[in-house]
Amino acid sequence: MATAPDDAGEVEITLRSVLADVLGLDPARVARFDATTPLFGALPEFDSMAVAGLLTELEERLGVLIEDHEVDADMMETFGALLSFARAKALQ
Amino acid sequence: MRIGAAEAPPILFVPPLFEEMNRTRALIASAMRRLAARGFAGWLPDLGGTGESATALGDLSWDDWRHDVSAASGLVAEHSAAPLVVALRGGCLIDDAASAIGWWRLAPVEGASLTRDMARAGLAGVEWAGYAPSAALRERLAEARPAPPAPLRTVQLASGAGTADARITGPALWRRSEPGNSQELAEGMAADIAAWYATCAAR
Repeated sequence: MATAPDDAGEVEITLRSVLADVLGLDPARVARFDATTPLFGALPEFDSMAVAGLLTELEERLGVLIEDHEVDADMMETFGALLSFARAKALQ
Repeated sequence: MRIGAAEAPPILFVPPLFEEMNRTRALIASAMRRLAARGFAGWLPDLGGTGESATALGDLSWDDWRHDVSAASGLVAEHSAAPLVVALRGGCLIDDAASAIGWWRLAPVEGASLTRDMARAGLAGVEWAGYAPSAALRERLAEARPAPPAPLRTVQLASGAGTADARITGPALWRRSEPGNSQELAEGMAADIAAWYATCAAR
């Protein structure tokens, strides 16, 4: 998409796309993630190095800036947590 | 590295910088092969401190990289003709150092975004893939922005952000922690690059 998403649905689509891209996951698999799907610490692809790439890609696609102090393990623990964070940032 | 006949219409690749170069090496090679199949010659220089080059990254300056790009375009011109320059990501920060008939860029990025990435990887306790660029190099990188050479065509991924003359479908391989490839993306690149070459060569 050429412009940053401006509604909650678009943010979710963007997040799924970013996860598939950055973690190298099959988009069909990511489409099945729900709020409780565990991410960081559960997916082998989602390691420390992937976190850096994920955050930067989210910044670019959502048109936001993510400060270091905003990032903790909780927000990346599940798909639901990460989605909540992404929506809060993008829809301010 | 060159793929294609030495005298074929030349395309000079300026790869992403630092770890993103590793992540996109296979993609670039695939694109070069597809361009060779279309009758072009793809050239890929090794920037000092990366790839096969022996220079330690800490000793390099930003100007060394720009010089490498300029020298590469001169070398290509000696073999065949002035090239079309194809730059990806951070390569778009130094591609204007080349003498070229035109520029094609994929997902250009500002240097500040790359330094933020590096800082993030450092916070995660991960070295930026073993690279330790000097403070001077990081300073220049933080200030760097893509220059506006002409004629220029900017391409973005369909899933990405940013203005573009065209969008192509494929994964942001430079974002993954492991190197990968995408034939779909390589083909999309090769087709668009070939068309842009024809446009630039006709001017």
